[in-house]
Amino acid sequence: MARYIANRVLGMIVVMFLVLTATFIIVRLAPGDPAGLMLGPDATPADVIELRHAMGLDQPIPVQFVSFLAQAVRGDLGQSIFFNQPVLQVITARAEPTVLLTLFSIVIAVGIALPVGILSAYWRGSWFDQGALSTAMLLASIPSFWLGLMFQQHLTGGGVLPVSGFGDPGSSFFEHMRYLILPSLVLGLVNSALIIRFSRASMLDVLSDDYIRTARSKGMSEWRVVLKHAFKNALIPIITVVGLTFALLISGAVVTERVFNLPGVGSLVVGAVLRRDYPLIQGTLVVIAGLYILINFAIDMLYLLVDPRVRY
Amino acid sequence: MVQRRTVLGLMGGLAIAGVSGVSFAAGDATGKKGGTITVAIIGEPPTLDPMLSTADVVSTVTQHFFDTLYTFDSHWNVVPLLASDMPKISDDGKTYVIPLRQGIKFHDGSTMTADDVVACLQRWTKLATRGKGVAAKIDSITATDDHTVTIAMNTPYSPMMSLLAFSNSACMITPKSNLGDQLTAIIGTGPYKLADHKPDQYIQVVRFDDYQSRTEPSDGSFGQRNQYLDEIRFVPVPDTNTRVEGVISGQFAFADSLSNEAYDRLAKSDVSMPVLLNSFGWPVFAMNTKKGLMSKLEIRQAVEAALAPEDMLTAAFGDKKFFTVDGPMYPEGWAWRNDAGVELYNQANPEKAAGLLKQGNYDGSPLRILTSHQYEFHYQMAVVAQAYLQQAGFKVELDVVDWATLTQRRANPDLWDIYISHSPFLPEPALNSTYDANSPVGWNDPDKNKVLDQFTTVSDQKQRQALFAQLQKMVFEQVPFYKVGDFNALLGQSKKLSGVPQTPWPFFWNAQVSA
Repeated sequence: MARYIANRVLGMIVVMFLVLTATFIIVRLAPGDPAGLMLGPDATPADVIELRHAMGLDQPIPVQFVSFLAQAVRGDLGQSIFFNQPVLQVITARAEPTVLLTLFSIVIAVGIALPVGILSAYWRGSWFDQGALSTAMLLASIPSFWLGLMFQQHLTGGGVLPVSGFGDPGSSFFEHMRYLILPSLVLGLVNSALIIRFSRASMLDVLSDDYIRTARSKGMSEWRVVLKHAFKNALIPIITVVGLTFALLISGAVVTERVFNLPGVGSLVVGAVLRRDYPLIQGTLVVIAGLYILINFAIDMLYLLVDPRVRY
Repeated sequence: MVQRRTVLGLMGGLAIAGVSGVSFAAGDATGKKGGTITVAIIGEPPTLDPMLSTADVVSTVTQHFFDTLYTFDSHWNVVPLLASDMPKISDDGKTYVIPLRQGIKFHDGSTMTADDVVACLQRWTKLATRGKGVAAKIDSITATDDHTVTIAMNTPYSPMMSLLAFSNSACMITPKSNLGDQLTAIIGTGPYKLADHKPDQYIQVVRFDDYQSRTEPSDGSFGQRNQYLDEIRFVPVPDTNTRVEGVISGQFAFADSLSNEAYDRLAKSDVSMPVLLNSFGWPVFAMNTKKGLMSKLEIRQAVEAALAPEDMLTAAFGDKKFFTVDGPMYPEGWAWRNDAGVELYNQANPEKAAGLLKQGNYDGSPLRILTSHQYEFHYQMAVVAQAYLQQAGFKVELDVVDWATLTQRRANPDLWDIYISHSPFLPEPALNSTYDANSPVGWNDPDKNKVLDQFTTVSDQKQRQALFAQLQKMVFEQVPFYKVGDFNALLGQSKKLSGVPQTPWPFFWNAQVSA
């Protein structure tokens, strides 16, 4: 076990180095210039050259890379060009909407998907099963931006649900929550589709196993059989897909955050790319990659708790 | 001998009075105080220091907390703001003696002095794009006394007052102790002060209780600033659809720069209404006169002969209420409007273009048009232009990139032949950098330079108008850029909001909300 964890940590370090290198190269390969954008449309070429020099963007790429790596190793992801603040500080400031959106969306997705998936499997072939599968297919096919726009157009009348943003200055926690209802619903519904299909398939596998027949033959109630014996053993694939969905959402639901103008990590990445804020793009991608790796690791560890047969 | 001159006869930025479309309404001094509004702007401003950027969104926001020495009235005349009066200008036009208003408070409670103004002017000439453009013409900036500043120039420069009045790359006034390459804090003298700023979330400004408004009746940015609203929140909303839905639902009291498709929905809304800002700006095909294909005059003239602006504008803006097919560099109503050279506009003549290509020994090299989807109408015009240019015999390549890439590539004359952009109509033609030989266009014709020098030197308005007519004629003859036409901007406004002027840089100090 200890050896497994040590190997995983070593692997994570290698992956992080590759991520650092790849993000640096990809960002530099993209054309565009943060200095020109900062100075505005009427800036002269001389002004742009001067600002590029001040930002250190005129230094040779290898020099910039070594400097970036040296800083990153010390936990310093640099200074955002656009915000003129440390990158980590900028990312931390955007974490709250994204974390809350992720949690709400996952709660909605799992809250819808698990009962529907379990019941679909239990009533396999019934009208409920057919309806659930069709709905899941539909939800998986709907682009989240379209669903977001529809919600904005039809559910925001009367001013109860806001169209966009994350609250006014000085908003309370509950006021922030009001701004998260529509985007969470969009993400929850869209992401529930995959979880419905996985939980149904997993439950179907388990429900045909011998020990389920044994449990029934012992006279156990049907719901006890399904929820205690079948569901627990169907959890591993469900945990995997929920975990990966969580990782995807925590790294920024780019489109949904953009449509609802939520100042989260997703809209931060889009803005950073459009503004060519190199340190911020690099820093955000590194943090996202780090979170992905950690969540994957956590999922593997969860298997140990759920299934005693799993050993590393 | 120093003598006083009136503004109107003086420096650039002048438009004929009383003309719709270019003027903006005066505020109402009878309103009640109170209320908070949320204004959806097109994105997070790159800085809150208006000296450091020429981006319009910076001007729109920062003019609420930073004042300049001068400003524009509703007819784009230069008028005093922090200056107590118009400057006394020497007979040779080289010395400006600017009297300052006394007892003006900064947001930090300190009082404005001539030293603060001198330090700001000096920083402006070192850091601001527009200030640096005039720096070489300035010999000294000194405080004559506590309430007077003198600018000594080595040559007369007629756009100087417009530069001092412009909120874009602005010479705003802040305490001397606040200055550096970056401002220490956002401290101005404006009617609202910065209360909170959460990047990408909101910029919150609240009424500045110690603000000393001018007492003249409100007229554009001039005169009384009534501070009716308690608070204004500027919210960056980069997605156009989200701005539309926000203003229709009532979440935003005002939304900047909306897509034309939203017009009908806004018109049918009970909560909000569409506002058309007539003759907001002009799309432009900027030619690379420095290098490559477009450095040949005949080839540029061939482009001018081939293009069909009406089709381009229709593709870009759709309904005719959103554009005007118009050649002169300024729309109807502006003092700068003239018809010199306009017979060369809207030719749509492929045969003539083909003849010019032959004269220019066109070798079939691709004509590279650099454009972007950032502004969809740029791309749509490019597609129509491509068809017309191909009909004339050009081989055309559309180089479609994002805006950041476009701004980088246009600085390198090896990478493009035409790039597409747009600009609002600026109060003073000299504020438009495209006429300058140092712009990416690189228009460096000796005759043009001579006329431009005269235009920026003489102070007599009639003479300046005549010189601008010459300049416009040269634009049509030498084709350093091609103005496609005029377009109107669509904004959205709550029906409860009033007192917002029609200007490319909307302000809200005279705005009111009704219950």
